[in-house]
Formats: sequence, C-alpha cells, structure tokens
Amino acid sequence: MTPALRTALVIGGLLALAPLVLPLVHLDVSIVSEVLLFAIAAMSVNLLLGYTGLPAFGNAAFFGLGSYGAALSIKYAHVHFIEAVLVGTLAGLVGGLILGPFLLRRRGIYFGLLAIAFGQVFYFVAYRFTNVTGGEDGMNFARPYVGFPSAHFSLNEMSFYYVALAIYLGIVALFSVVAVSPFGRTLVAIRQNEVRVRYLGINTDRFIFVALLISSTIAGLGGAMFALLINFAYPLTLDWHQSGDFVLIMILGGAGMIWGPLVGATIFVIGKDIISTITPLWQIFLGALFIACVLGFPKGILGSIAALRDRRALARSSASETPEAPAPLSRGTT
Amino acid sequence: MLEHLGPELFNGLVLGAFYAIVAIGLSLIMNLTGTINMAHGSFMTLAGYLAFAMISRGTSFWFALLVAPLLTVIVGIVVERTLIRPLYKREPFYSLLLTFGLSLVAEEVFHLIWGANGVPLSPPASLSGTVQLGFMSFPAYRLFIAAALVVAIVALALFLTRTRFGLRLRAAVQDTEMIAALGTNTQVLYMVNFGLGIFLAGIAGVLAAGLLGLSPTSGNALLMPAFVTVIIGGMGSLFGSIAGGLLIGFAISLTTLFIPAASEVSMYVLMAIVLLIRPRGLFGEEGIFG
Repeated sequence: MTPALRTALVIGGLLALAPLVLPLVHLDVSIVSEVLLFAIAAMSVNLLLGYTGLPAFGNAAFFGLGSYGAALSIKYAHVHFIEAVLVGTLAGLVGGLILGPFLLRRRGIYFGLLAIAFGQVFYFVAYRFTNVTGGEDGMNFARPYVGFPSAHFSLNEMSFYYVALAIYLGIVALFSVVAVSPFGRTLVAIRQNEVRVRYLGINTDRFIFVALLISSTIAGLGGAMFALLINFAYPLTLDWHQSGDFVLIMILGGAGMIWGPLVGATIFVIGKDIISTITPLWQIFLGALFIACVLGFPKGILGSIAALRDRRALARSSASETPEAPAPLSRGTT
Repeated sequence: MLEHLGPELFNGLVLGAFYAIVAIGLSLIMNLTGTINMAHGSFMTLAGYLAFAMISRGTSFWFALLVAPLLTVIVGIVVERTLIRPLYKREPFYSLLLTFGLSLVAEEVFHLIWGANGVPLSPPASLSGTVQLGFMSFPAYRLFIAAALVVAIVALALFLTRTRFGLRLRAAVQDTEMIAALGTNTQVLYMVNFGLGIFLAGIAGVLAAGLLGLSPTSGNALLMPAFVTVIIGGMGSLFGSIAGGLLIGFAISLTTLFIPAASEVSMYVLMAIVLLIRPRGLFGEEGIFG
C-alpha cells in the first residue's frame, strides 16, 4: 500500500466517522457537508492555479452556474436529486465552454483580470432576470427525492453528507490520477515554463482549455450540491467575492497539494460559523486572514508542513553523510 | 425616446470619464509592479468618506476635493510600503489576494464608522444648477466633473511625458532592472507610482460621491467597469484607458436607454468582442504580461 493511498484511507475513514463526533463539539452535520463542498470548489481552483499556475479568480461563476442549474431544473422541470446534480454539473461545463475561448487569450495576471471580469457576467444575468431567477432574493425550493424507476427516497442531512463525501473522495481520486498522468505533468510544466512547453511542440492552449473544462465541471458539481444542501440558489454564489473565498481556501490549505482544499475549507467554513455567532464582524477576520495568509504563510498549512519535513529530511541526510565526507565540505550547508 | 439621447450620451461621457480615471490608476500600478489592486475601490470610498467628514465639519467642498485625496494617498503609501512591498518579488496573484483582503477589511471599517446606509455628500451650491449650452442644458455638477477629470488626465499625461520623473517611471515599466542599474531608486518609483494611482482614485472618489452616492461599497461598484476598461483599452496605454472608459460609458448609457435590462452586461459583450478581434486590447502593447 502506498503512503498516499494510506493517507487517503485514513482521511476518508475520519471523514466517514466525523458525524459521530460532531454532537460533542456542537456542530451540525450540514456544516461538514459545506466544508466538503467548499473543498470541492477550491479543488477546481487548485487545478488551474495550484497545478497550472493560472490565477483562476472567476471560478465562482461555474460554482454559481451549478447552483442555478440545479435550482432552475428543480423549479421549472421538477427533476429529481440526481438529475438536478447532473444539470448543475453540466451548467458548469457549459460555462467553461463559453468562457474558455476568451480566457485562453491571455496568461498571467491578465488571465486573472479576464476571469474576474467575465465571471461577473453571470452574476448580473442572475441578478437582473428577476422573473426567472428571483433576482437579488435568490430562489428556494424543496430538496427533491432521489428517484429511481423502482423507488423514491429522500435525503436527510446525514445521508446528504455521505453523498457529498462520496463525491469529494471521487474527485480526490480523480485528482491523484490526473496529477501523475502525462496530462497533469504537462499542466505543471506549463506553470513552470509555458514557452518551453510550446517549443516542445505541445499546444498549450488545448491543455489549458481541457484543464479549464475539468475545473468548471468540478466547480459546477460543487455548486449544484451546495444549492441542494441549503435548498437555495442566490446571486452572490456567482460573485467575485465568492471566487476570492475559493482562492483563499486553496492557498490557506496549500497550493497544489491534494488535501490542501480540505484543510483550507475546514478552517474557513468552521471558522466562519464560530466567529459569525460571536461577532458580526466576520468580514474583518476574513480580510485579515487573506492578508495574514499572503504575508505569513503563502505556502499554506500543508505546504509549510511539507517544507518543514523536507528541511528536516535534508538535515538528517546531510547529518548521516558527515562522518563519511571529509569534514569541512558539508558543514553548514543546511 | 430620441430626445433623451443627448442627455443620456452626456451621462455616458461622465460615467466613462470616471471609468477611465479609475482604470488609469489601476493600469499605472499594474504596469509597473504587476499588482492588480483590488482595494482600488476602497481607496475611492475612503476619499469620499474623508471628504464627507471634512465637509460636515464645515470646510468647503473645494478644500475637501483637494485634501481628501491627498490624505488617501498617505494611507495608500503606508499600505504600499508595509503590506504590498514585500510581495513585489513574488507571483502577482499574491498581491491580488492581499489587496482583496484589504478591501474586505476596509468595507467593514467604513461600515462601522459611517454606517451601512449611504451618507449624502452634496456638491456646492455654485454647481447645483444647470448650464445652457445652446442646444441643450447640462447639470453643472456633471459638466464640472467632466472638466475636472479631463484636467486630471491631461496633468497626468504631461507629468508622464514631460518630467524626468515621469520619464523614469515609463522607462521602469519597460525595464526595471536597467533603470535600477542606471542609479534610480526603484523603491521610490514604486511608492510614487502607487501614490499617483491612489491620488487619481481619490479625486474620482470624491467627485463620484457627490454624483453616485457614498456607501461602504460605492467605490467597488466602479471597480469592475474599470477592470473591463483596462482590458478593452489595453494594458499599459493611457490613451487606451481613456478610449475604453468612454466606450463603456456610452455603451452603458445607450443600453440603459434602449434595453435597460442589459445595461450591466453590455460592457462585457463589448469586452468579449474586443478580445476576439484584438486580444491585447484596443491600444495595448503586445507582450506586456502575456
């Protein structure tokens, strides 16, 4: 069993048992579902920003499209749970297909600028078309049944959590496959030096487009599940502030780390829940968290731990080599 | 409907001038340091509130129009030196994230001090009437805003092209290392450049407060159109920002008149078209930030 798989099994097991512990710390199971869904959204950012190096500051657009896709299909087509999730996911993918050709035109911070600006289009659409989307008030609905031809059953908060967990772990599995695939390696190479990758004869636009489509689909899936969690879709899920939160969650956990979004989302969602009950000034804490994270530990929590472990390992290996090496060379290198 | 066309186009012009001046400030900062200043709108709001605080304590509008932006510049430079400076050597999205956090904090602080609802900042009585210009009448305050913004933009253009400091600034955008090697203190350049961008934001903030209202989020409402302006006009081009701002201003005013529901979306459509035809923006230079 590889160490990565062991970590995955331990974390998956802990998450599966989490609902048993929650009553002890006075947390609702729906808040842990929210953690998982925000982690999913942050993973969609991670693919673009953490792996490929593109400042994806507009992923709330896909997340919100997922939310509205689910909500609209429930309200106007009366679909069941699974179909609503699929429609939402598809809405995210379609969003990626629409915006992709524009976003691909530029790189670097210009990409970030385009992502912020284009992401905002859907916000205004949802905000303006009040008679379809409910405008600023959003739209609420009753959570639909999970329907099969033979049976119907409803999801309570607990079973919803396990559905979210299954989806989350599925996406983690997908990421771990993608990360070591030639496709994933190419994305990392693009982050490190896109010009060189192009000189190798690789059409980087195509790779980035596919990454964007995967990212938007995952974000759409997360958004659809989020709407079904709170039985509500509202325009602020499409707003660039929401995109900023996703980026923060990703950076907080550790850019490019597979478990980073989960760590970031846990701190973000639960921190928000606790602080909001104490003071109405959550936004100041959030802003301070952004600033502290950027200045204090830009590698994020898992990134900092990994860096620390690397340094230790380096110190250990050089320490064990010193007796053999003719003394002065290796002294003080760490 | 057509009799509204003239006034509506004039509104578009004023709105466009606002977008242009905010975009120029953003563009200055972005060009030299690669920082997308998400807190730009907060600096506008800050200037507006400072002016409001001064005027409500009895100073004249004119005094506030000059001093509030200067005080905002001081705050801006302190922020730049302490928070943004450490990030210049890192990837640009870190400074984006930091200024985003700043804008969240600022919004809540404005909220705490001045309340969630808007406060009134009325233009002076001498600018409250209308001016007859033969074929139609214009609100004096809007005419004044248009004039003031034009003066600010021309002054900036002269500063950038006719002074040694402006020359160094433009040279640093092209090659910061070379400028540093030739003996210019680049940190001073960064600082003054940031202050200049904030000063423009401050003037726009005070003027906008008298026209569009003043609330904790009012500056941010101008930020998104300013981003779009930078994209349409092209990064690194003063003229591009002006042209982009005016284009958006007219697009918004015309859609407000004919298809009100699409007024916000119109600028994005414009942006999409420009990107398809000319990815670098109307007057942008090839190769700046990819």
